[in-house]
Amino acid sequence: MTRKVSFQLSAAALLAIAFGDARTPGIAAQASAGQAPTYQVDPLWPQPLRAPWILGSVTGIAVDARDHVWLVHRGMASLTARTEAGLATDPPTAETCCAPAPPVLEFDPAGALVGHWGGPGQGYDWPQSPGGMAVDGRGNVWITAGGMPAPARDAAQAAPPPPQDAHVLKFSRTGAFLLQIGKPGDTGDGASRTGLNRPVDVDVDTQANEVYIADGGGNNRVVVFDATTGAYKRHWPLTNASCVRIARDGLVYGCDRKNNRVQVSRKDGTVVSEAVIAKGTLGEGAVWDIAFSRDPQQQVLFVADGSNQKVWVLRRETLAVISSVGGGGRWPGHFYGVGSVAVDSRGNLYTGETYEGKRLQRFISTSMGTAEGARK
Amino acid sequence: MKRHLLIATTFLAAIVALGVAQRALQSAAPAQGTVTAPRFEVDPLWPKPLPNGWLMGMTIGVGVDDRDHVWIVHRPDTLSAAEAAADQDPPAAACCRRAPPVLEFDPDGNLAGHWGGPGEGYEWPGSNHGIFIDFKGNVWIGGNEAKDAHVLKFTRRGKFLMQFGRKGQSKGSHDTQNFGRVAKIFVDPRENEAYLADGYGNRRVAVIDADTGAFKRYWGAYGRPPSDENIGRYDPDAPPPQQFRTPVHCAELSNDGLVYVCDRPNDRIQVFRRDGTFVKEQFIARRTLGDGSVWDIAFSKDPQQKYLYLADGKNEKVYILDRETLAILTTFGGGGRQPGQFFGVHSIATDSKGNLYTTETYEGRRLQKFVFKGVGPVSANQGTAWPAKPDR
Repeated sequence: MTRKVSFQLSAAALLAIAFGDARTPGIAAQASAGQAPTYQVDPLWPQPLRAPWILGSVTGIAVDARDHVWLVHRGMASLTARTEAGLATDPPTAETCCAPAPPVLEFDPAGALVGHWGGPGQGYDWPQSPGGMAVDGRGNVWITAGGMPAPARDAAQAAPPPPQDAHVLKFSRTGAFLLQIGKPGDTGDGASRTGLNRPVDVDVDTQANEVYIADGGGNNRVVVFDATTGAYKRHWPLTNASCVRIARDGLVYGCDRKNNRVQVSRKDGTVVSEAVIAKGTLGEGAVWDIAFSRDPQQQVLFVADGSNQKVWVLRRETLAVISSVGGGGRWPGHFYGVGSVAVDSRGNLYTGETYEGKRLQRFISTSMGTAEGARK
Repeated sequence: MKRHLLIATTFLAAIVALGVAQRALQSAAPAQGTVTAPRFEVDPLWPKPLPNGWLMGMTIGVGVDDRDHVWIVHRPDTLSAAEAAADQDPPAAACCRRAPPVLEFDPDGNLAGHWGGPGEGYEWPGSNHGIFIDFKGNVWIGGNEAKDAHVLKFTRRGKFLMQFGRKGQSKGSHDTQNFGRVAKIFVDPRENEAYLADGYGNRRVAVIDADTGAFKRYWGAYGRPPSDENIGRYDPDAPPPQQFRTPVHCAELSNDGLVYVCDRPNDRIQVFRRDGTFVKEQFIARRTLGDGSVWDIAFSKDPQQKYLYLADGKNEKVYILDRETLAILTTFGGGGRQPGQFFGVHSIATDSKGNLYTTETYEGRRLQKFVFKGVGPVSANQGTAWPAKPDR
């Protein structure tokens, strides 16, 4: 009997096994009681942007020490001029809506926009397309030049020119330029001490004053520089390196996005362990970004999965999936292209969506299981 | 001195005359300050998540039936391969799948029915467009792909009833057998006649018998015969266009027998009697180019239908008009992907309690509900219609 039922359900069951969790998408995580943190989407956060501003594809988010939430988005390059940005065309085609907001936005915990800046300026090269972001322990804001996706071409064509996005930028929280690592078009290779190739993400070890860069657009590595001078320190290989996050215990977590893989290493690059998430995922892969819970041990790890449209909740020690948040769609708590994840000091979860998702969302922590206690 | 005064007076008169002339050409001016009007708040958690990992593509029609069930039609084929990754062979991810084109929600937001797509005995549209549930509970659907020259009528369970017009057979705005990419349908319960906003190809309102499909009458802008000659692009500074400009996007009948037509890229509403006699027109956000400002119309649920709700998918807002004067009282909405914001707000409908429903095309792709909070004082420019948030 059991056998018969399992045969009848085989297609769905196989899919469920292949992807780890194929439950009906829900607003909040469906976790087993006492096992994992649970969340509820806060549909009315952040507050609406002032008219006529709208977001483009969000490529990076971060939470600073004051629990301010930051995002960087692609602006006009990711908006459809004819239908979406009627006030940003020449001549304007609409009377009252819409135009892209400035690329870097800062929200206070109540969801009010308290800062905005970004774009081309003196002394630095603003990215063609921004990538990931981080706010370091001194409150400075780091943004990668993530680059546009490489255009498809056939083998007979000449090699395309090197991508212009080959650098990382550091600003003060009010947008004063501080440092640029790398130069447009100077992509180097996996061994380069100066070149970057469409770096996807960044994190900062404030104590050691080192910046870690997921140099994954072409160089397939994590590379470390001095966070003040930009001097090269070291690097190690990571295929598709699309995120990098440093835990308090000194472990470095990297995203191997298209291989659905989390790689854990020490700060010197020694690989410690790895885990595969939603291993049946093809195409763009399942491991897009990583964040940690805010309890002292950082016992929970979050993985943004822009292919399966959810945030996976893992036990950091074992890298076992214990729960998930989200599902596909355009309503609150749903995702399209969830590519960024971050956590504030109260344990609330934040997500950024790229593609046509184009949102910053907040999920309130509604309970903490036996293992976490991140909230208090 | 006298001469100077004369010049000055003449000059002043000229300025005043110019001002009056300009004013006459302007559209309904947005109201200011506080007005008395229907108030709405978005319900951010309505409807409930779809089952089966289903997603909606461009959502280009909404209707409400007599049980306050909310119906939408969308375009499953507008979902990209990456977004409908579970529909790929093999599946690229566990999420998501294309939902069937017609979805029915109960008042609590649960999915209560789903159907649609090609079948025996009828030609499913190449591009779904518009949905209407008539007084008999039957469901009408239009289509705006180049060859869509027909409308379809189904039971609420999706059983095919009638097809009016044949795919690929449109002969223009004087064709009495076929239509030209129909945007929307409204069925008049008194006369059992269907009013067709016709459409993306034709420049007319067409009226047919709702049971037999027998052709009754049609008309163009100002109630005159339509013409299919190319009238070029909309120019807000030119005299009012003498033809509808495609798409003719809605034709809604009020309780007192007036037909309100969305002349979308012309940024205007034209009002007619049932027989096509022109009554009046009103421009809205008249400097809007491209897609235009007048996308869809619904009426308030009081017996007099005192208010008219207008969806504008270009400026991303809903206008509330006094139906008698067609003056704009207030607006709400704004661009964006959060609750109560819009990207391509395309269709609008009301239920028996006065609640409003909107759907979004392009990449908006949502059905949203705005809860009616009674008529009262409200800002003339409400911004996003959010409920008051409890302190945390």
